[in-house]
Amino acid sequence: MKTCKTVLALAGAAALAVGFVAGPVAAQTPDEIQSRGTVNIGLLVDFPPFGILDEAGNPDGYDADVARLLADDMGVELNLVPVTGPNRIPYLVSNQVDILVASLGITPERAEQVDFSEPYAGIEIFVFGDAGLDVSGPEGLSGQNIAVARASTQDTAITEIAPADANIQRFDDDATAVQALLSGQTPLMGGSNVVISQIEAMAPDRFDTKFSLRQQSQAIAVRPGSDELLDYINDFLTRVKADGSINALHEEWVGGPLPEFVVSGD
Amino acid sequence: MNYQFNFAPVINNFDQLIYGALITIQLSVGAILIGTLIAIPCAAAKTAGIKPLAWLVNVYIEVIRNTPFLVQIFFIYFSLPALGIRFDPNTAALVALSVNVGAYATEIVRAGIESINRGQVEAGKALGLKGHQIFRYIILKPALRTIYPALTSQFIYLMLTSSVVSAISATDLAAAGNNIQSATFAAFEVYLVITAMYFVLSLGFSGLFSFIGRTAFRYPLAR
Amino acid sequence: MFRTFGPNEVWYIVMAVQWTLLLSAVAFAGGAAGGIAIALARVSPIRPLRYFALAFIRVFQGTPLLMQLFLVFFGLNIFGVGINPWVAAAIALTLHASAYLGEIWRGCIEAVPSGQSEASWALGLGYRDRMSHIILPQAAKISVAPTVGFLVQLIKGTSLASIIGFVELTRAGQIINNATFQPLTVFSLVAALYFILCWPLSLWARHLEGRFAIATAR
Repeated sequence: MKTCKTVLALAGAAALAVGFVAGPVAAQTPDEIQSRGTVNIGLLVDFPPFGILDEAGNPDGYDADVARLLADDMGVELNLVPVTGPNRIPYLVSNQVDILVASLGITPERAEQVDFSEPYAGIEIFVFGDAGLDVSGPEGLSGQNIAVARASTQDTAITEIAPADANIQRFDDDATAVQALLSGQTPLMGGSNVVISQIEAMAPDRFDTKFSLRQQSQAIAVRPGSDELLDYINDFLTRVKADGSINALHEEWVGGPLPEFVVSGD
Repeated sequence: MNYQFNFAPVINNFDQLIYGALITIQLSVGAILIGTLIAIPCAAAKTAGIKPLAWLVNVYIEVIRNTPFLVQIFFIYFSLPALGIRFDPNTAALVALSVNVGAYATEIVRAGIESINRGQVEAGKALGLKGHQIFRYIILKPALRTIYPALTSQFIYLMLTSSVVSAISATDLAAAGNNIQSATFAAFEVYLVITAMYFVLSLGFSGLFSFIGRTAFRYPLAR
Repeated sequence: MFRTFGPNEVWYIVMAVQWTLLLSAVAFAGGAAGGIAIALARVSPIRPLRYFALAFIRVFQGTPLLMQLFLVFFGLNIFGVGINPWVAAAIALTLHASAYLGEIWRGCIEAVPSGQSEASWALGLGYRDRMSHIILPQAAKISVAPTVGFLVQLIKGTSLASIIGFVELTRAGQIINNATFQPLTVFSLVAALYFILCWPLSLWARHLEGRFAIATAR
């Protein structure tokens, strides 16, 4: 019995040391968040310019600034939690974060897992690739290798429209898919206007845009059933869209105003 | 614990998992064969002590054994094209796995060759055995018998390591699981089934290896 | 928007080595505790204990570390403990290391000549005294070289924690690569840093093996 207690005490101490006993408690409503005084917001750190790490290694970018705006609005401390593309929804659903401001595109599949707010950002997804390659529509993908980030909007979109003999290569994230394109491993990739403008800055004139796949609105996400929190966030978005503060952030990070389809909220 | 287990996505996509498992088997068997072909001359060069060659082999072994496989495979897929060497993802995976297991197998084979007592060879000569008979019965077979357990556990470890190749979009068992997981979000269920499949594969491989070991390395007593 | 690959980026990657080291240290400490328990269970006179240890080793040596990480990462959630890459990686690597070290150390315990055991029986020593004063100290001597060898494997194994989002050396490399698009430079640096961590340990393990071979040569 004594050893048992010692083991438990040690395990407890170890758990405290890595900080997960003191870790997050699920907050479902704005009141709960406000009475706790901190909001845990998950965001990507490897998705420039939405989520990046600054020179000091802290989360930054458009998503981080929107999260700051939201935390200020709620009057609480902000705890930014870096997540990855594949694990961001598990993070939210398992109560590790209260809210995701993680460039999460609105899709029906995801809407079954999380509740989406009104859009707060938007991108357009293209097929993009070698300038010498003549591809103007889905049939042009026949027999080609196309790099995408696994389970991203472009993955879903291309999987839907591509002919059966197109070879879709799925990587863990956008950057790895970009690597595949830049290193010449695939002549084509699916990606957003933001990723494309970065590639063009890196390798001017090597690639061009082939055709548009879809416009993709990104939204803030909460756990299903957090209706009060969702209402609060939607009200917040309406206000910051009206007073221009979110547009200023978009100008600063993405280099242009918030797209029309995001402002109108379709 | 109010989690609702949902195995439907796994069952509905089981054909994808089977396909992935076949690729994993192909990659593993291919890498084992190529890796062994790499290991034998490398081990020979090391034991023979041919200076520049032995030095090169040492660099190869040390670099491979002291860096993670994930980094090696990134290097082969994304960096070699800069030198004009280009593989599709599954070939790159095969190359990376072969090069990796080759380094470990070299050390094992070398240990096997060095374990042969010189006196055995002398005894063979004294018995009037010819050169190739000495090599086959006195050096190769006993050496292989000595290293066989170490070699086969390295091969099983290789099969498990191959689960990393989905990072370069190879289409192995783990990749099939990742695809199903990210389309359905049934992460735990998917990975539970995949882990079980890897376990079955490793049991299968170890059964196969011990069968081969029993048939190939019997002492020719009854004749 | 772009970052060039400059001193800040190099520094960020180099600093991530501390997380690789910390994760390796935690997993090694946990794995040492678990490993000794598994090794003792494996040579225990109690049959169910032996079977349990054998099954534990078979499962963890028969499935990929990557899958073990995924299962712990997503499984913690099911048991109501929030997912956290740091905790998940520490637990998964600890279990992994327990199995491997358990099997290595079982071999070392069994390598102690049986006469030692028999002599301690004859002297009337109980299990605890026999293990702690006679068998384990001798097994420990044999175990140093393969244990150091496994430590190299463990350090490299921590690179897989990057896939569940734990920011250690490999993940830091990926993050910088995403911002700079310089894979050749970034991954060369990452590989070089692993090499610097692992190579001295490999050399040390080989040196110990050599010394042991000389000591036991007859």
